Amino acid sequence: MTEKGEPGGPSRREFFLAGCAAVGAATAGFGVSTLRYLVPTVLYEPPARFTVGAPGDFPPGSVTFLEDRRLFVFNGADGFFAISSICTHLGCNVKRGGAGFECPCHGSRFDENGRVVHGPAPAALAWYALSLSPRGEVIVDLDRRVGPDFRLKA
Amino acid sequence: MRDPQTAPPRLHMVFAGLGLGFLAIFSWVFLREQGAEWRSLQARFRGVQTTVKNPHQLAEAAGAQGLRQVWLADLGRVDRCATCHLGIDDPAFASASAPFRTHPGTWLATHPVERFGCTACHDGQGEATDYEHAAHQPIPHVERAMRPLETIEANCGSCHRSLDPPDAPRLAAGRRLIVESGCVSCHDIPGFERMRFRGPALDSLGYKVRAEWVQAWLKDPKAYLPSSRMGNFRLSQAEITALQALLLSQKAQAPLDAAVDWKKADTVAGRALFGELRCVSCHAVGGRGGTMGPELTRIGDKVRREWLFSFLKDPHREQPDTAMLQYRLKDEEVRDLTAFLLDEYKTGGAEAETVLASYQDPRAVQDGQTVFVRHGCYGCHRLAGLSETGKIGPSLAGVADRDPDQLPYGRNVVRRTTDNYIFLKLLLPDALGTPSLMPTLGFTPVQAATITVALAGLRKADLPASRVVKVTPPDPYRPQGRFGEIATRYRCLSCHRIGGTGGDLSTVPLDRIGSQLQSDYLVRYLLNPGAVRVSVEARMPVFHMPPEEARTIADYAAATFLDDDLDRYDARFTPAEARRGEQLYRQLGCVGCHQMDMQGGYVGPDLSNTGTRLRPGWTAAWLTAPERYKPGTLQPDYGLTAADARALTAYLTTLGAHGAAPPAGGPAGGQ
Amino acid sequence: MGETAKDRAGRWLAAAGRSLWRIGWPRTDKDRAAVMISSLFLHLHPARVSRHSLRASYTLGLGLVSLILFGVLTVTGLALMLYYFPYPAEAYRSMKDLQFVVTFGVVLRNMHRWSAHAMVFVVFLHMCRVFWTGSYKPPREFNWVVGVGLLLVTLALSFTGYLLPWDQLAFWAITVGTNIAAYAPLVGDRLKFLLLAGHVIGPMTLLRFYVLHCVFLPLAAALLVSFHVWRVRKDGLSGAPEVPSVVEETAGTFPASSKTYGLMALTRRPSASVEARDPRDEVFAWPHLLYVEVLVFLGVVILLHVASLLFMAPLEEMADPTRTPNPAKAPWYFLGLQELVHYSAFVGGVLVPTLVVVALVALPYVDRRPHGVGRWFAPERRLANTVFTVLVVVATLLTIVGTFFRGPNWAWTWPW
Repeated sequence: MTEKGEPGGPSRREFFLAGCAAVGAATAGFGVSTLRYLVPTVLYEPPARFTVGAPGDFPPGSVTFLEDRRLFVFNGADGFFAISSICTHLGCNVKRGGAGFECPCHGSRFDENGRVVHGPAPAALAWYALSLSPRGEVIVDLDRRVGPDFRLKA
Repeated sequence: MRDPQTAPPRLHMVFAGLGLGFLAIFSWVFLREQGAEWRSLQARFRGVQTTVKNPHQLAEAAGAQGLRQVWLADLGRVDRCATCHLGIDDPAFASASAPFRTHPGTWLATHPVERFGCTACHDGQGEATDYEHAAHQPIPHVERAMRPLETIEANCGSCHRSLDPPDAPRLAAGRRLIVESGCVSCHDIPGFERMRFRGPALDSLGYKVRAEWVQAWLKDPKAYLPSSRMGNFRLSQAEITALQALLLSQKAQAPLDAAVDWKKADTVAGRALFGELRCVSCHAVGGRGGTMGPELTRIGDKVRREWLFSFLKDPHREQPDTAMLQYRLKDEEVRDLTAFLLDEYKTGGAEAETVLASYQDPRAVQDGQTVFVRHGCYGCHRLAGLSETGKIGPSLAGVADRDPDQLPYGRNVVRRTTDNYIFLKLLLPDALGTPSLMPTLGFTPVQAATITVALAGLRKADLPASRVVKVTPPDPYRPQGRFGEIATRYRCLSCHRIGGTGGDLSTVPLDRIGSQLQSDYLVRYLLNPGAVRVSVEARMPVFHMPPEEARTIADYAAATFLDDDLDRYDARFTPAEARRGEQLYRQLGCVGCHQMDMQGGYVGPDLSNTGTRLRPGWTAAWLTAPERYKPGTLQPDYGLTAADARALTAYLTTLGAHGAAPPAGGPAGGQ
Repeated sequence: MGETAKDRAGRWLAAAGRSLWRIGWPRTDKDRAAVMISSLFLHLHPARVSRHSLRASYTLGLGLVSLILFGVLTVTGLALMLYYFPYPAEAYRSMKDLQFVVTFGVVLRNMHRWSAHAMVFVVFLHMCRVFWTGSYKPPREFNWVVGVGLLLVTLALSFTGYLLPWDQLAFWAITVGTNIAAYAPLVGDRLKFLLLAGHVIGPMTLLRFYVLHCVFLPLAAALLVSFHVWRVRKDGLSGAPEVPSVVEETAGTFPASSKTYGLMALTRRPSASVEARDPRDEVFAWPHLLYVEVLVFLGVVILLHVASLLFMAPLEEMADPTRTPNPAKAPWYFLGLQELVHYSAFVGGVLVPTLVVVALVALPYVDRRPHGVGRWFAPERRLANTVFTVLVVVATLLTIVGTFFRGPNWAWTWPW
């Protein structure tokens, strides 16, 4: 909005423009603030890094399904590894079945390493990094994805 | 003239001014958000971090930006302390400065932050993200500011419900004081449901005590006898008179009607008996002695002769709950002891007693009953006809959550906190502005503070069961059968522990005594206990026990109180082993503490007759790991090999085997 | 070729612009009128307004400020709803989250709080202004009644919002407030039961207050405000004096408009103020009125920001039904009533509020003399103004006493 063609001294016009500019800048800031307000700064979610227990809690050769974390923890011959139970297709929980995993929702099938064998799933199941805490407990870090050659010696 | 239909120029100036003002105020809002305390602290941390951390750890830690919180859904708690205390669980920051420093001690190892957060132990406002609102110091409208370290153990008590919580000495001391002070007689206290505190039964008091004593005692027990456990109930003279009438009218059980010729009483023999029976192990006289029984310093002013005779002859008849054992004494011995006690421990010489007419006055007795009930005397004392009618004091469940602003503090100028209220109430129950029936128990400020720590963790809200650490004590051990009768008579459990039950006057638990001592020695010792360690004052009394009873105990111990690990020991020693053991005995300097053949120190027990006293399995086990059997013992752990311990045992087993030395050793492997 | 493309772009832009803004920058009186009439938002304004009602010293802009506050409250309230859980402990934790972790959360909450208090205050002042200038007189009788309704809705909005933080202040203020309501004869207890959805304040109460506060009452307020503003638009911006200030005794010179508006239809009725119009005494709403509105808006928003930065919205300990603060006080605007309840539950809880509302509603129908309209404290209305002023002063005094001079056990205390 301008006041083109209106009679009046330059000071009047400048005041008006200055006011418009200030209000415009503040409004822009207001927009940015609104966006920042919408971004949550803390999450009421379980932490992405969590301990699942001592290595001794997992018998050799066992597979433990952590229901609330949607995670399979394997204690294999050459170490520990963890595979997500979240189907990469549309997020259903896969079940152990056949040689690997099966998704009950749309029939995706995965091999024992989580690679897609059949079905609509576009990608392999996620592997997450494991580590040992200073007290020797197994830590899962959902923020760190790893490849299917990952093993934690414990 | 200006066009009337355009805005006046003044408005444009106002517009520009307001527009700039709006921009300015909005920038202020924006900058304030951007300059939040925690943001600048995190910036500072990133500086500290580069100097402290290994470079390869940096990448991981660099992710520590923005607000960090521990959300404990089961407790409904959110702690954001780690937003600023960024190095709290990272050992690399042990020497960093204030907000970043590593948490001291091993507390985070046992209480990991992600499971316990911070405020469960420290209090404060966990939701806050700045120093002030986190309530590091008390602030308005935050109920729990951070606890200072002196009282932090109160919060341990919220979860740790056992009587002896680990690593919380103040809390443990406070809980012990609660038990010892008899708080549970008047108050229901969560965690102390199974505790009982009993004063003496009063239903035969009319035969027991002198009228003047009742008067003086009720006025202020601690003034009469500083070691008294009874508090001052601040009774009026009228109440005292009424109670006196009631108490002196109590004559449920007459003293044993024994034909005693008091003229023949021998106080010298009584004095000897007093020593032999080890009365001072439990009773103090003149400020020295044990505390399990009442102090005897002014017993002569207190009790009547016939009653004392009767009590010493059979304490359990009138006071079934007493810790006092029943000696096997002849009537003459009891008479001598009675005479000695009454003659020796008194202040006045007056034998005559003022007889008050009111004892027989039913009205006065009635009044006394009213007073007795009003003050809740029944909480501690049994009195015929006045059964318990519930605890007189309020339940202390949730006492820590009482509204500090609604509590009376009297004229005491203190900060209004529940802690301070509890502390004052313990110290000055009558000076808080409201009339109180609670007795003045004469706590020192330190004691009151300690009990406060124990009570300040009693929260209203029930924790989820998964958070409560509760050690349910095992059912108390009750000795059975013939052994049970004997053990009850001699009150073995007043001093010794079996299966976790019993007193702690003796340092020797009896759980494995049958594997420690030889049966014959145990019999001899029970019949004539001597000093095991000269330097220790508390000793086993001479029970005047018939040999048959001693044998029963020894047999029972040899059959029941066993430790298979000790019994499995191969005790076939070779002479060579014994010789090497003798050398070791000299090399290790055992003689510095232990007597042998009238030589050596006095700290440990005499070893002269070990061969007839101890079983070899025990000797070897003790020498190998003394701390395992008696934490805190003075016996050094030399880290002996099994072979060395065996050699020493072989040598010690030879001692006294010739039967040369009379039985003079202690019950167990010494100190 | 480039020329044509530029032209085309210009034409396209102009066409797109016209689809939004049909009239260009208004330069003629016709456009100034059209710009107001042809826009959905601006047509709430008349094309022309009297100079008299534009004078700040006359209306004080209180109606406008109320409307702006209502807008600010709607916007901030909607934003706050994104972080609020209407369940007891969670509600309180939402407050802590807004204070400590939500970006700009604390400013937003403060602004909502202070705007709400300001709105109660400004709406009340607005009512006083309307009374003292006699602006409720025909044809504005019914709009006065709508205004009374808006005052009540404003109070209800503020009162329901008071509970939502679920702190001690909220819990006990609502406890006291609903108990004042319980003194109403016959229906009092049932009214309280209905308000609380139970016998005591609990999760159901919180949910009920939340829904009232966020849905029903704002809808009611929006409806009433629309109607209120529409009536203002139709009846002329604020009560103009029956005698124009510039031209004296000219009421007969211009043909009187006989059109006026009732709630449902056009009615035929003479209307003193609408008739008394002189074109020389009027200016176009564009830009005069609009510009002033923008300025007032900016001023209000700046003041709200300053208040929100300097003063924290109160938040005490979490609500605890076992701990009654002493004294437990209702929200400040009910403290006059609480003070009266202290003397007599019936008088303070029932009689006075009922009488006040009935009197306010009945007022324009009782006082119908068309004198003294459009001027502050017109001498013709000395009696009415005196009575009203006394009542306002009494109410103010009672509120001040209840707020500042009452301590524990409602005993007299000095605030210094």
